[in-house]
Amino acid sequence: MSGDVSPPTAERTAVEERTAHDSEAPPLQLIGVTREYDGGGETVRALIDVDLTVEAGEFVAVMGPSGSGKSTMLNTLGLLDTPTSGEVLLDGRDVTTLDDEARTDLRKEYIGFVFQDFFLIPTLTATENVALPTVYDRDRDATARAEDLLDRVGLGDRLDHRPPELSGGQKQRVAIARALINRPEVLLADEPTGNLDTDTGRQVLGEFERICEQGVAVVAVTHDELVTEYADRTVELVDGRLEEQ
Amino acid sequence: MRPGDFPAVVMATRNLRRNKLRSVLAALGIVIGVLAIATLGIFGNVLQLAALESLGGLGDQVIVSPNQDAGGESLTARDITEIQRVSEGRGTVVPLRSDGAVVSGTGGTSSFATIYGTDRPAALFSAEAGTVPERHRQGALVGSSLAEELGVQVGSLVEIAGNDYRVIAVLAPGEDISPIQPDSAIVLPESAFVPGDYDQVVVQANSGEDARTIAEEVRDRLNAREQRVSVFELSSILDQIEEFFDLLNQFLIGLGAVSLIVAGVAIFNVMLMSTTERKGEIGLLRAVGVQKRDILRTLVVEATLLGILGGFVGVLLSIGAALLLWYVSPIALDIILDPSNGVYLLVAFVFGVAVSLASGLYPAWKAANLEPVDALRD
Repeated sequence: MSGDVSPPTAERTAVEERTAHDSEAPPLQLIGVTREYDGGGETVRALIDVDLTVEAGEFVAVMGPSGSGKSTMLNTLGLLDTPTSGEVLLDGRDVTTLDDEARTDLRKEYIGFVFQDFFLIPTLTATENVALPTVYDRDRDATARAEDLLDRVGLGDRLDHRPPELSGGQKQRVAIARALINRPEVLLADEPTGNLDTDTGRQVLGEFERICEQGVAVVAVTHDELVTEYADRTVELVDGRLEEQ
Repeated sequence: MRPGDFPAVVMATRNLRRNKLRSVLAALGIVIGVLAIATLGIFGNVLQLAALESLGGLGDQVIVSPNQDAGGESLTARDITEIQRVSEGRGTVVPLRSDGAVVSGTGGTSSFATIYGTDRPAALFSAEAGTVPERHRQGALVGSSLAEELGVQVGSLVEIAGNDYRVIAVLAPGEDISPIQPDSAIVLPESAFVPGDYDQVVVQANSGEDARTIAEEVRDRLNAREQRVSVFELSSILDQIEEFFDLLNQFLIGLGAVSLIVAGVAIFNVMLMSTTERKGEIGLLRAVGVQKRDILRTLVVEATLLGILGGFVGVLLSIGAALLLWYVSPIALDIILDPSNGVYLLVAFVFGVAVSLASGLYPAWKAANLEPVDALRD
């Protein structure tokens, strides 16, 4: 976390202490995760005995065709979904069976999300969108942090622009800044380049590389071969089973 | 605007502003509902107040007259004593003689008028000009319409059956509905009449309750063996009239409540629509670590704000409607401004907010309990 350029605060110190304390454990780990759905009378197995360890500062690309279980895996990593069996470890701690409230708190603290459709609120400025995850907290310096993050993703001159005034690449960079507002350890991206042309996609992936350099792990699920160029490691999901490439 | 200590309120305001037209339309339903409840309630109440004001004196009077069906012509001194005993501490007994006569004013105009004879007019009549004496020894008290007709005022002379009387007071117009109508009558001292029995007795009771008791006891004592007197007492009828108005009011408010329920359905619909529209956004908030209860609180605050906004405008419009009623009708301002009308404003406002809150609960609960995964999928 030494590359973290955000302004020093009490919270940041706490993050650093926590990271130092658990420096041995990988930030995110799936152990033997199986996820089954009840799909119209028959059981659909979206994930089968998946093991995955994401190290700090690592960029992992998860490839696979539609329906291979990519989204389910990302949701499981992001504590949005619970596995039918297996374990999810966050900083070495088993979080598989935590209740919704605890998982929500952990998501806020550890995990940032970037989506294909950006999910920006059209009536809010870029800065307000980035600060949105902190909106229910008494987080007085969130705006300053949001501006700083936008500056870092090259949108320092677009702080007060609203999403309709931004290009696709700019929107995705706003979304990345938003994912980083709570200083996560892991950034999860669902088809981050899916709505972008190749050049813009490269800019966004370059952004992910820089984030990894600061010690944040990035996991991106994608169809896009371009992502693998930037990733440290690519794994492939086929019919719910993980294959290392 | 930065969310400060009330993030849910700030977020709710922000969300309502995003689709102003829809928010205004939803609040409009509440405006109409609150307006309906408040105005119907106030109008009913004003009607009741106005009616009771004109019937008010009636409830406190007991009028005892001879039962003409049984051949009674007059009330004896013993009857009067009996009535006085019954009324002890409950009201003032005013024995009246009455007759009809032609009355002439100074200008030569004359008119037929009712003549009341009593020594104690102050209990029953009040003066518009001059004074009504406690003990009436001489002079005439002239009803207001009669005084106008004859062209007389305090100090003038009137002639009744060959005798001249100086006018010592012009009586205030009687607003109450009562068998004793002073407007076109003249009140003379008892001594102006041939001594004898009385034609009727008016008991001005201290309260409606006293009037009822007096009437009952007079009936018990004077009519024990035969129906010698008829007792005219309206306080119990007044109670029934009051009950009727209460019922009318409840009925009117019920009508208003129907429109408020319709408004509730409109808010329910709007909230459901707007949460469905914002499904992705709510999913995103949940994904980035916003708790269910914060989402729930925000949406409930949204619905409540719509209710408060609508209720507030509804109350203002209701006040306008009440003032309009005063402007176009002969109802006095003090009846319109009676504090009891404020109760209807308050009740309507509280109901408006409560209906909005209740309508917002289910959509808010539904949205807060969306699985973020499902919310983000489409």
